[in-house]
Amino acid sequence: MASSSGNDDDLTIPRAAINKMIKETLPNVRVANDARELVVNCCTEFIHLISSEANEICNKSDKKTISPEHVINALESLGFASYITEVKDVLQECKTVALKRRKASSRLENLGIPEEELLRQQQELFAKARQQQAELAQQEWLQMQQAAQQAQMAAASASAAQQAGSSQDEDEEDDI
Amino acid sequence: MKMSQNTPDKDDQTSTNKKTISLPMSRVRLIMKSSPDVSSINQDALFLTTKATELFVQHLAVASFNGSGKETNTLSYSDLAQTAEEKETFHFLTDILPKKILARDYLQSLDQMQDDDADF
Repeated sequence: MASSSGNDDDLTIPRAAINKMIKETLPNVRVANDARELVVNCCTEFIHLISSEANEICNKSDKKTISPEHVINALESLGFASYITEVKDVLQECKTVALKRRKASSRLENLGIPEEELLRQQQELFAKARQQQAELAQQEWLQMQQAAQQAQMAAASASAAQQAGSSQDEDEEDDI
Repeated sequence: MKMSQNTPDKDDQTSTNKKTISLPMSRVRLIMKSSPDVSSINQDALFLTTKATELFVQHLAVASFNGSGKETNTLSYSDLAQTAEEKETFHFLTDILPKKILARDYLQSLDQMQDDDADF
């Protein structure tokens, strides 16, 4: 929605996200609509403020990429030092959670088995599966052959019986 | 490195602001890049900025609500404007939120100016 006009300055945080945050921060408080709109715009302004300051700090430090340290220093110099402890904590928490998740999933997959062994087991399973498939196919073919043979024999004896039957008829006629 | 955001785990529903972040980092990045001269941003730096913005929203909301002085259950535009004016940390917002002044105040200041001119 914000990018439809193509103007960078129209970029804002989605209204819904802001509304949700305000609701969680001030439950049971009525918030005027123009106040909500204002908060959305204040966010953008804040982000610009922090990025510009962090960018300046970054330029002075000879680095090309804005680092977490630059952001923290920017918060400090702009009077938002009170945020620093919490933002650092949440970052650390997120990293720890992500690390735990990776460890847990790899633990589950490996069950303590090294990778080469897993590969070997996989190859074995594939080979077994292929063999079983081949045997199954062969069995089916044999069965088909047998069925075909039986059908042939049945057809042959049926026609033989027919011929025998018709010659019998001729004999009977002679007798009469 | 994947970071969790948006939908918090069921366990931390009560502490959304502590454990995860609710604002979309992708949007924050776009806004940051629209600042002049900003080139590249480290992923962790982006995370910190996003989280700081969340704290800012909470801070602004609470400060404005408490600072309204009157016994009210509403947060209004003027509450926010007033906070920006009174609190130094929020001064940077005065550019985008001119305090809506009452018409009579404006007329009063006009009269004042005219009086001043008359003195001259």
